[in-house]
Amino acid sequence: MSNARLSGAAQGNARWQTPEAARRIARRNAAERRFKLIGLGAIVLSLAFLALLLVIMLKNGLSGLDWSFLTGSDSTDPDVAGVWGATKGSLLTMLVTLLLSFPMGVLAAIYLEEFAPKARWIEWVEVSINNLAAVPSIIFGLLGLAVFINTLGMPRSSPLVGGLTLALMTMPVIVISGRNAIKAVPPSIRDAALAIGASKMQTVFHHVLPLALPGILTGTIIGMARALGETAPLLMIGMRAFVVTPPGGITDPSSVLPMQIFLWSDEIDSGFVQNTSAAIIVLLVFLLAMNGLAIYLRNKFEVRW
Amino acid sequence: MKVETMQQTKLTARNVDVYYGAKKAINNVSIDIDNGVVTAFIGPSGCGKSTFLRSLNRMNDTIADARVTGEILLDGENIYAPDMDPVALRARVGMVFQKPNPFPKSIYENIAYGPRIHGLAPSKADMDGIIESALTKAGLWDEVKDRLHDAGTALSGGQQQRLCIARAIAVSPEVILMDEPCSALDPIATARIEELIDELKDTYAIVIVTHSMQQAARVSQRTAFFHLGNLVEYGDTSQIFTTPREEKTKDYITGRYG
Amino acid sequence: MILTGVLLAVLGLGFVGWFAARGRARLLHTGRGSLHSMPSYHGWHVVLWIVIPALLAWAAWSAIMPGLVDGAVMADPAAAQLPADAMSRAAVVSEAKAIAQNPDQAAFNPLAQTLAEPVRAAHQRFGLIGALLVVIVALAGGGWAFTKVRANYPARTRVERAVMGVLLLASLMAILTTFGIVASLVFEAGMFFKDVSPIDFLLGTHWSPGSARGDNLGESFGAVPLFWGTIYIGAIIAMVVAIPLGLMSAVYLTQYATPTIRKWLKPVLEILAGIPTVVYGYFAALTVAPIFRDFAASLGMANPSTESALAAGVVMGVMIIPFVSSMADDALAAVPRAMSDGSLALGATKSETIKKVLLPAALPGIVAGVMLAISRAIGETMIVVMAAGAAANLSANPFASMTTVTYQIVQMLTGDQEFNSPKTLSAFALGLVLFIVTLVLNIIALRVVKRFREAYE
Repeated sequence: MSNARLSGAAQGNARWQTPEAARRIARRNAAERRFKLIGLGAIVLSLAFLALLLVIMLKNGLSGLDWSFLTGSDSTDPDVAGVWGATKGSLLTMLVTLLLSFPMGVLAAIYLEEFAPKARWIEWVEVSINNLAAVPSIIFGLLGLAVFINTLGMPRSSPLVGGLTLALMTMPVIVISGRNAIKAVPPSIRDAALAIGASKMQTVFHHVLPLALPGILTGTIIGMARALGETAPLLMIGMRAFVVTPPGGITDPSSVLPMQIFLWSDEIDSGFVQNTSAAIIVLLVFLLAMNGLAIYLRNKFEVRW
Repeated sequence: MKVETMQQTKLTARNVDVYYGAKKAINNVSIDIDNGVVTAFIGPSGCGKSTFLRSLNRMNDTIADARVTGEILLDGENIYAPDMDPVALRARVGMVFQKPNPFPKSIYENIAYGPRIHGLAPSKADMDGIIESALTKAGLWDEVKDRLHDAGTALSGGQQQRLCIARAIAVSPEVILMDEPCSALDPIATARIEELIDELKDTYAIVIVTHSMQQAARVSQRTAFFHLGNLVEYGDTSQIFTTPREEKTKDYITGRYG
Repeated sequence: MILTGVLLAVLGLGFVGWFAARGRARLLHTGRGSLHSMPSYHGWHVVLWIVIPALLAWAAWSAIMPGLVDGAVMADPAAAQLPADAMSRAAVVSEAKAIAQNPDQAAFNPLAQTLAEPVRAAHQRFGLIGALLVVIVALAGGGWAFTKVRANYPARTRVERAVMGVLLLASLMAILTTFGIVASLVFEAGMFFKDVSPIDFLLGTHWSPGSARGDNLGESFGAVPLFWGTIYIGAIIAMVVAIPLGLMSAVYLTQYATPTIRKWLKPVLEILAGIPTVVYGYFAALTVAPIFRDFAASLGMANPSTESALAAGVVMGVMIIPFVSSMADDALAAVPRAMSDGSLALGATKSETIKKVLLPAALPGIVAGVMLAISRAIGETMIVVMAAGAAANLSANPFASMTTVTYQIVQMLTGDQEFNSPKTLSAFALGLVLFIVTLVLNIIALRVVKRFREAYE
C-alpha cells in the first residue's frame, strides 16, 4: 500500500518537478515581482512630481510670505504687492457662488432623487447635469461673457458676474454629490416617517435631508474648492483687471487669487517670481484647509447603514 | 490490495484552523481525502465547509485577513510550506465555483488560458488537442465544437459550468474542488453535471461542497459533515446517511435544522 | 437704495404675516384633529402669498420701468436738443444715465450733464411708485391668504405644492444652463460664420487673426493648426504620460497595496487633481519648460523655444493621472471577483490574472475613462496659456511651440477690441467646436460606462 501511494505521488508531482518546470515557475514569479514593482513605480513617480512642485513653490515663495504681503494689494512694485485684494475678491466671488449653487444644487438633487416623475424631460435634466459637470470651464466663461455681461449688462470684472459664472459650473457637482448622499439614506428611514403619517415632503425635509447633509456638504466643499482654483472662465469675463484697492462689494472690479497668480507669472520683474510662488502657497493653503474640512466631515459623519 | 491502490490518500489535513481576522471559521479539522472517490462536504450554511474547501488550494490567500494554521498535505507535501508556490499548487488542485465564471473571451480562449500560462502546449496542435480532450471529458465537445470562437458567456448556465470544469481539467489537475457547482443551475443541468462528476472521479480526486443532501447521497462515496466550523463526522456516504454515529449528523440528515 | 428698502419691507411683511397667521391658527386649535394643518403651515402659506406676488410685481416693474424713465426724459424740455439720428441720441442718453448713477463722473457731452438731472428725478419717481406697488401687492396677497386661515384649510398641501414648484425650478436650472451655453455659442458663432465660411474655418491651415483684413477673412481663420495643437498636446502627449501612470497606479492600488497603504496613497494621489491648473501652468513655464528646452538644445536643435508642446502636454498628463487612475480603479472594481478567482484557481499568478483577465474585462470602462480624460485635457486652458505658446504651428516636433483652441479663445477675448469683430467672434466659433467635441466624447463615454456596469450586474 505504501508503495502504491508513493508511486502515485511521484506521478502527480513529476510534471512540476522537472528542472524545466521549476525554471518556468521562477520566470513567472520574476515577472510577477517586476509587474508589482512597475505599479509601485508609477505611483512613486506621480508623487515625486507632486513633491517637486510643492518643494519648488515653497523654496521660491516661502521667504516672500510676510504680513505686508498678506495684507497688501496689487502693485507694480513687487516689494509692495500683496494678495489681500485678490483674496478679498476670491472671498466675495465664492460667497456669491455658494449662495447660489448650494440651495439650487440641493433643491435640484432633492427633486430628482425623491420627487421626479419617470418622464422624458427628467432624462434630459439628468443628461444635462452629467454633461455640465464635464464641460470645459472655459465654456462657462464664454456663457458668462455672452449672457451676464453682453446681454444682461452686469458689471464686468466684478465678483457678482464671476460668482454667477462659477455657480453655474459648481451646481452640477453639488447636484451629483447631493443625489448620491440622498440615495445612500436607506428606504427604511423614509418608510418609518411615512408610516407615522408624515407627508412625503415632511419625510424628505425632516429625515432624509438631515441625514444626507454631511455628504452634501462634503460634495459642496469639494465643488467650492474647484471653483476657488478656477482661472479660465474668469479670464473670459475680464477679472484680470489691475486692481490696486480691494473690492468694496460684489459689483466692484476685482481680481481673484488664481488670477493674481496668472497676472504675476507674466511679469518680467524677477521679484514677481517670489510673489507668484507665495500667492500659490496662500491658494494651496486655502484649498488644503477646504479639502481637510471635507475629509473631516466625511469621516465624522459617515454612517454605515 | 486493488481497493487500496484505488483509494490511496491524496490530501491530508491535520489540525487545521482557519481565521478571518480574529474570527475562527474552522476549528481543528483533520481529514484524509482519497483518490478515485468523490468526497462531499455537507452541513448547514455558514458551517465553514466552503472556507475549508478554499484552504485546500490556498484560495484563501486572496482574502486579505484570512489565516490558516495546522498542516494540509498534498501527497505528503505541506501546501502551506514556505517553498510551496501557490501558483504550482493551484495547477494541481483545480477549482470550480458556485456561479459559473467563464472569462469574457471565446470558448477556445477560456480553456486555452490555463495550459498557456503553465506552458503545457508547445504548439497549436497540442493546444487544439488539449481543448478537444478537455471539452470531451466535460461532455461539452459535441455541443460547442462548431462554435469554439463564440463568447463563453453566451452559453447557457449549465454549459458555462461545464466549460468551467473543462477549463479546470485542461491543466490536468490531480484534485478538483467544487464549491456548490450546481446551486445556480436548473435540475436538468444539475443532472448533467452530476453524471460528469461520476465519470471524472476515476481520473481525479474530487471534493464537492453541497447544500443538498440528496446530491451528496447521489454523487459521493465519502461524506464529511461540518457544523459551526467543526468536522462532526466523516465516513462512507452510505454509512453517514443510514447509520450516523453522531446525534448532530442524524438531526441534520433528518431535517431537524439546516 | 430703493431696492434694498423694498426687499426689507417685503421680508418684514413676511415675518409679521408668519406670526400673525400662526397665532390665529393656534387660536383655532381646540384639540386633536381640529386643524387640517399645523399652525406654522398657515404661517408659511401667508409668507408665500406675500413674497411671491411681491417679487413678481417687482420683476414686472423692473422690466417696464426703463421705458417709463425714457419716456419721462424725452418729455423733458432739454431733450428737444438731442441729436436727430438714433445712434448719437442713444449715446447721449446712456451717458446721462451713467452720470445720474455716478455724479462724480465728468460729462463728455454737455447735454448729457443737463439730462442727468431729469434722468435721476425720473428714476426716483418711478422707483418710488414701483416700491409702493410692490408693497401693495404684498399686502393684498398676504391679506387674502390671511382670510384663508381656517380650521379645515389645507395650508400644508398648498405650501408643499409651492415648495415642489421651487424644487422643480431648481432642477430646470441645469437645462437652462445647457440651453444658455448652446444658444450663446451658436448665436455668436453664427455671426462669425457670416463673415468666414465654416469650410475655411474648419479646413484652413493658416491661422493669423491679427492680419485679418477686409475680404480675405477666410484665409486668416483656418483653425486646423489649432485643432492639431489641441490634439497633439491634450490627446497624445498628455495621454502618453497619463495612461500608463494612471493605469498602473490603479492596478497597484486595487490589486497589490494593503488596505492601509491604499487608504493613505489614494488621497495623496488625488491631491494632484486638486491643484489649480494655474499652478500647474506656472510650474510648467517656470520649471518643466526650461528643462525640455535645454534637453532639446543638447540634442542639437537650433533655437529651441521655451514654450513647447511637450512641457504643456507632460504637465497636463500629470494633472490627469488621478483622473485616469480613479476611472480605472472603478472599472477594475466592477469586474466580479469570480473572474479573478477563476484565473487564480487555475494557477495563474496575480500579474497574469491582471493582464490577461482583469484588464481585458475592464477594458470598456478603462477606454471610457480615457475618453473622459481626453475631453478634460483638450478643454484645459491655463496650462497651455502659460506654457504652450501662441504660434499656430502644424508640426509634429514636441519641442516646437504650439497653440490650442483654448489658448486662442483666451487670446481673442482678452485685449480691448470691440465685441463684434470677427476676431472676437472667432472665440465663440472655437468654443462651439470645443463644446461639441467634449460633449460627444462625454456622451459616448458615459454610455459605455453604463453598458459596462450593466454587463456585470
